[in-house]
Amino acid sequence: MKFKADRATLLKALAHVQSVVEKRNTIPILANVLIAVRDGRLSLTATDMEIAIVEELRADTKRDGAATAPAATLYEIVRRLPEDASVELDHAGGDAQLVLRAGRYTTSLVVLPTEDFPSMTAGALPHRFALPAQALRGLIDRTRFAISTEETRYYLNGIYVHAAESEGAPVLRAVATDGHRLARVEEPLPEGAAGMPGVIVPRKTVAELRKLIEDVSDEIEIALSETRIQFRAGALTLTSKLIDGTFPEYDRVIPRDNDKVLRVAKKDFAEAVARVAAISAERSRPVKLSVARDLLVVSAASPDQGTATEELEGGLVRYESGPIEIGFQARYLNDVTDQVTGDVEFRFADGASPTIVRDAADASALYVLMPMRV
Amino acid sequence: MPVPVRRIIHVDMDAFFASVEQRDAPDLRGRPVAVGGARARGVVAAASYEARRFGVRSAMPSVTARRLCPELIFVPPRFDAYRAVSAEIHAIFARYTPLIQPLSLDEAYLDVTEPIRPLGSATAIAEAIRAEIRAETGLTASAGVSYNKFLAKLASDHRKPDGLFVITPRMGPDFVAGLAVAKFHGIGPRTAARMAELGIHTGADLRRWDRAALIARFGKAGGFYHGLARGEDERPVNPDRTRKSLGAERTFETDLDALAPALAALAPLSARVFAAAAAAGHAPRTVTVKVKYADFRTVTRSRSFDVPIGSAAALAAAAEALLAPLFPPTRPVRLLGVSVAGLAPPAQLGFGL
Repeated sequence: MKFKADRATLLKALAHVQSVVEKRNTIPILANVLIAVRDGRLSLTATDMEIAIVEELRADTKRDGAATAPAATLYEIVRRLPEDASVELDHAGGDAQLVLRAGRYTTSLVVLPTEDFPSMTAGALPHRFALPAQALRGLIDRTRFAISTEETRYYLNGIYVHAAESEGAPVLRAVATDGHRLARVEEPLPEGAAGMPGVIVPRKTVAELRKLIEDVSDEIEIALSETRIQFRAGALTLTSKLIDGTFPEYDRVIPRDNDKVLRVAKKDFAEAVARVAAISAERSRPVKLSVARDLLVVSAASPDQGTATEELEGGLVRYESGPIEIGFQARYLNDVTDQVTGDVEFRFADGASPTIVRDAADASALYVLMPMRV
Repeated sequence: MPVPVRRIIHVDMDAFFASVEQRDAPDLRGRPVAVGGARARGVVAAASYEARRFGVRSAMPSVTARRLCPELIFVPPRFDAYRAVSAEIHAIFARYTPLIQPLSLDEAYLDVTEPIRPLGSATAIAEAIRAEIRAETGLTASAGVSYNKFLAKLASDHRKPDGLFVITPRMGPDFVAGLAVAKFHGIGPRTAARMAELGIHTGADLRRWDRAALIARFGKAGGFYHGLARGEDERPVNPDRTRKSLGAERTFETDLDALAPALAALAPLSARVFAAAAAAGHAPRTVTVKVKYADFRTVTRSRSFDVPIGSAAALAAAAEALLAPLFPPTRPVRLLGVSVAGLAPPAQLGFGL
């Protein structure tokens, strides 16, 4: 195998694939990237056996072949090369070392046999549809914070994606919950997704995918089966296993009859919560919302540090129901306000029941927060 | 149809607060440690085994403790740390059964009649729990295994610290017979004193009384005592029990009519209540003082605070401030009580998904 590529092109591709490589790995070859030239086309592949990322890149290919080399080392070397360098990789085959040349710089890297590199087969992916990158980012950003990290509840360790109906319209729905809060975001159902099974996309896949599509503006092609999902964005393909579990009947925790509606200006509210919570040394940082007609008092008390309160009123708050007091973890509130663009709308039942939070400017997302007893 | 025999485990962490402090600060290990305030009016919330050898006990005024053990090291309590460990051990319990009734941060009843992870016997589960607590928290726990809560608690106390004891249905009645009633959980010092007047000192003495006679002497509780004497206790392990208030009171042999002796009697009550609330991980916000007069009329005075009461001294001061205006009393005072409420620690609620 032999090819020549721009440093910038190679660096970007290495950055993409190396992030999936497990940092503390007990299987040495999983720390490697597979570099292959087939029929004159260059591709880089990395996998942790759950996720595989393949990226094709432009190169001046001279000879077909393949080699695997440590991804982190290769990335560090290429990153340190001069910006406009042209990089040549040359592998004579077998267990010969992989030689990298750039200008007057040369390095030889030990390779591991390509036959040992695990290949992740996607199998048949019968359900195919496309989503604008912007929409996919929206689905991820507004749900991922609610993904559970509790490993015993593995079926909550991802985003549940499925086709559903919302007020008579078919939608693609993403849901995540950790048992204390829930995030549900909808997009119009893309063509081809109607018959898809509900799938749980693992947290790490979500994180890798989100990094890869940060700068993508086109459509992302999605293909899936009951056990695998594949995302294609341009020359990049990410294939991942899905969580083999049943996502709970989340619909039953979304309250229908909450009728105490509070609207509050997002920025002022988010800042007040963070300021007031600063008093608390507890990890959960509980803050109390005391709501009366057009008045919201955000407060926190700590047995060791004292108290803090902030009042929001005037044009910032609208509330017309009976007074209510309810506590939440500051982080849970701020995780939601981070995703809200307009005013924040709360719908309460009482101080101990699930509360609905929405973006007054965007009906596509719905959040449910369980309160804290304070 | 016979009632199936239940399998109950009582798990009790050994010198919990003090052990957490010794775990986190190696220079405290092997030394007498008291968790609590060192100041004049401070109270010992927990004592390490080294300190207990000197007679230091929880709820004891710090001055007394220091007199008993001049080398005693006072450490301020870190309830966050205790709550965190408590959550860890609770998570360990939850691997075996959903029927968990925490009594405080360091103590819980578990009903393992139908365990999630059957290990063959309740004893094996208790051993597994003790091993997991040791491996995951670095602390030791004692466990008692029996067929009801009363005996499980007696059993956990029997081989403390770091022990396990089993009371089988055959052993139960004999085990109780030989025990002093003052050691029964559920029989307080005053009830024990009344029983002593009736010649009841041990479980065997208590057993000679029939149910009706005990109810006549002790009210509804008499029926409960009748069961205890036979090693019987039907109380279920109740996972939802949350305590809303906590208190202590004292009836005087001679009625009081001056403030000074009333304040003197009030101070140890405040100390006891604060220690009990602290042990349960609670920081109370409401204090109530109760006064019962010689004619059995009762008045209460209570005050709530925005910030939880964080020290025994603050609780004592609040109780005194509530009591003082009631003196001089219109009638002689027969009983004084202090209680606190607003106890539930902040807790994240869940959906139950």
